[in-house]
Amino acid sequence: MINRKLSLAAAVVTATALTLTACSGGEAPAADLTQVSIMAPFLEAQPPGADGAVQKKLEEITGKDVNITWTPNASYEDKMNITLASSEIPHVMVVQSKSPGFVKNAEAGAFWDLTDKLDNYPNLKTTFPDIQQNASINGKVFGVYRGRAPMRAAVMFRQDWLDKVGMEAPKTTEDLYKVAKAFTEQDPDGNGQDDTWGITIPKWGALGSNSPYDLIEEWYGAGNRWTEKDGKLIPSFETEEFLEANRFVKKMVDEKLINPDFATFDGTKWNEPFFNGKGGIIVDVDSRVSVLINLFKQADPNNFENKVGFVGNLEGPDGELHAHPTDGYSGFLAIPKSSVRTEAELTKVLEFINTLNSKDAAILLNNGIEGVNFALEDGAAAPIKPETPEGKAVATDIKSYAQLGMNVAGNSFYPVKQASEYEQQVFDKRVEVMAEDLKSAVYNPAAPYVSATYVSKGAQLDNIVADARIKYLAGQIDEQGLKDAIKLWNTSGGDKVKEEINKLWQDNK
Amino acid sequence: MSQLTDALASNIGAGDGAGAEPGTAPKRGGKPPKAPKVPRGKFSVHFAHYKWLYLLLLPGVLYFAVFRYAPMYGVSIAFKDYVPFLGVNASPWVGFQHFQDFFSNPDFARLLGNTLILAFLNLGIAFPLTIVLALLLNEVRLSILKRTVQTLVYIPHFLSWTIVASLSFLLFALDFGPLFLFINNVLGTDIDFLSDPAWFRPLIILQEIWKNTGWGTIIFLAALATVDQDQYEAAIIDGAGRFRRVWHITLPGIRSTIIVMLILAIGQMLNTGFEQIYLMTNALNRSVADVFDTYVYFVGITQGAYSYSTAVGLFKSLVGIVLIFGTNALAKRFNQSGLF
Repeated sequence: MINRKLSLAAAVVTATALTLTACSGGEAPAADLTQVSIMAPFLEAQPPGADGAVQKKLEEITGKDVNITWTPNASYEDKMNITLASSEIPHVMVVQSKSPGFVKNAEAGAFWDLTDKLDNYPNLKTTFPDIQQNASINGKVFGVYRGRAPMRAAVMFRQDWLDKVGMEAPKTTEDLYKVAKAFTEQDPDGNGQDDTWGITIPKWGALGSNSPYDLIEEWYGAGNRWTEKDGKLIPSFETEEFLEANRFVKKMVDEKLINPDFATFDGTKWNEPFFNGKGGIIVDVDSRVSVLINLFKQADPNNFENKVGFVGNLEGPDGELHAHPTDGYSGFLAIPKSSVRTEAELTKVLEFINTLNSKDAAILLNNGIEGVNFALEDGAAAPIKPETPEGKAVATDIKSYAQLGMNVAGNSFYPVKQASEYEQQVFDKRVEVMAEDLKSAVYNPAAPYVSATYVSKGAQLDNIVADARIKYLAGQIDEQGLKDAIKLWNTSGGDKVKEEINKLWQDNK
Repeated sequence: MSQLTDALASNIGAGDGAGAEPGTAPKRGGKPPKAPKVPRGKFSVHFAHYKWLYLLLLPGVLYFAVFRYAPMYGVSIAFKDYVPFLGVNASPWVGFQHFQDFFSNPDFARLLGNTLILAFLNLGIAFPLTIVLALLLNEVRLSILKRTVQTLVYIPHFLSWTIVASLSFLLFALDFGPLFLFINNVLGTDIDFLSDPAWFRPLIILQEIWKNTGWGTIIFLAALATVDQDQYEAAIIDGAGRFRRVWHITLPGIRSTIIVMLILAIGQMLNTGFEQIYLMTNALNRSVADVFDTYVYFVGITQGAYSYSTAVGLFKSLVGIVLIFGTNALAKRFNQSGLF
């Protein structure tokens, strides 16, 4: 099935490649760039129309005829590869991650190296060089990264349950265990039945994917994907702390403090046990706090304010806080060489991206149009109620247009004003807690480095350890089995990954 | 599962032909109907004589040329280090590198084993069940009942695997699913069907049976309709019971259809069904769940190793061809008309 699709795709690729060679005899387009084409993903059900108010305003701000090809997020990587082999290559491509496909294309010379160029543009000069470094391929910057909140890890719990069992919000991983135990055994919902558990974890096994397991391991001090030990980088799963953290999680699984179907539970239903009063704790990103509050608010608008509590990262058993940051970016805007052929053209495109990252554009892409869908109140964007049809169209469109935002010098758009005072308080507290945790963040020292072996078989390698971790927690294998899997990771190619990463790390130190 | 429908579509012709034969000459193997006299000599004369037949042939030839043969050009990336930016032509040749990597990969034995076990389970359990169900339906004399049952068993075929998987998750959910509770209560066990590796294959086969057995009966029912009714009357007079009539008349009557279907099923054998397996896989059962199809997806699409996964897919196709020719040869050796 897939094979057939692949070969079909290959055929399409070939056909278009032939057309490309046929066309490339012609002259390069005029250096004066009037029209800019962009390829970007959309995550909504429908892409924005080509003549919406946001589109018009965007063209007004940038002074260009902006032509955006919206591509469904689910097949974005495939479409990107096919586009790169075609004759219709956009000037700017949103690249979602340093996927093996992107790395191969970049190394084959598909994109401009922007390492020494970005600092010349006021809006593209980042104030977070570490994040720009994370988004690079071994130090080479191939795009303007799309900034994301670097600290998001949080523990959220049923506040009403916590009050019922008379406990304090957890501060350490040991507290987390105690609260989970109380939620399981002390009948926090008061229905007289033993039908609750502590932490809900969905089917989410991959290594380094900000899963609850990754978070707890980092809190234990295992590091963030890679960690420095005796002057060398090792994968965090080779630390003693990794084993300790998993012993801790396994203890909770064994004592039924975690939902028993954690290996198969559907992640899209993650909120349900929390909302329905089955499992009282979720370890995830802090934005889920607002999602949960909204669930309770929809169910009972008069009584939702004491349901959801949260804290940020937890202290590990060593008494220290090792907070888990994200990589701080979500892909980047790259410039293909086959559509932008000369340095002069590149300058024009970079100028355009510079404008796209101006304050005016950032507000348009993230907040919308003032007076149409939002009004400015105390420096925050308050949605205009009742919503007009025009306002609604803008509000819907910006969910997709936000994909073009980069914000490499922090967010220059307005924060969104929350619907009620309580929600505003929670929102402000979230910002505060995350800012505080960021000070203790332990970053991935290998984030900028791309190892050739990892590109070709990293995902398979990581699966060995990721599956073993879940099997160990489920009791299918013992700790020796987990260690054997880590050994297998090394012998199947992991040794080479380590060697390459360490070399890159030493060379760039 | 579109392969199945493809197989069905292409087989309806074959099934009809094979089904039309048995009544007249079930044992001797079908003799082709006497061909009209072919004008010999120049091709142009020949062509002029049969131009309308050639015209009829055209759409089929075009379909295969455009959708089946032209894309095969892309298979060449199995022997290249394909980079999309460079394109198929400019990507460097690497010979059999990807095949070597695959065969020396520790995953290879596991993938082959998992794929073959699932394939044989499907062939050994699901395939005969289709014939059994067809025979059962054929014995139902009450037309309305027969039609109703037929319609009911066809329905699951039209549900997507996503729905089938979701249903399974609901029914077997740990501590909540009705089937989970029922089976474990009756047996006094504590089996988590969804994550226990030992239950992965039974679950997959059960789903396959539930979804496709009914649909698979269509061709057999068509073949059954052509079995000579006089033979049954003769057998009844001779005092043959129902079972004997099925054994000595019905089954030999549809034997060539069964053979053709078997050859086609074996050709499709390694297509274990990507969606179904992908949806039912989790970290705990992956050791038995990984098959060629999911591996190609995982390595090719998620890791961007297009060349490598094309090599794997090509290998799978080669095995499929060997199986088809092998079964066909066997069928001929046992004095049955093969597929070709």
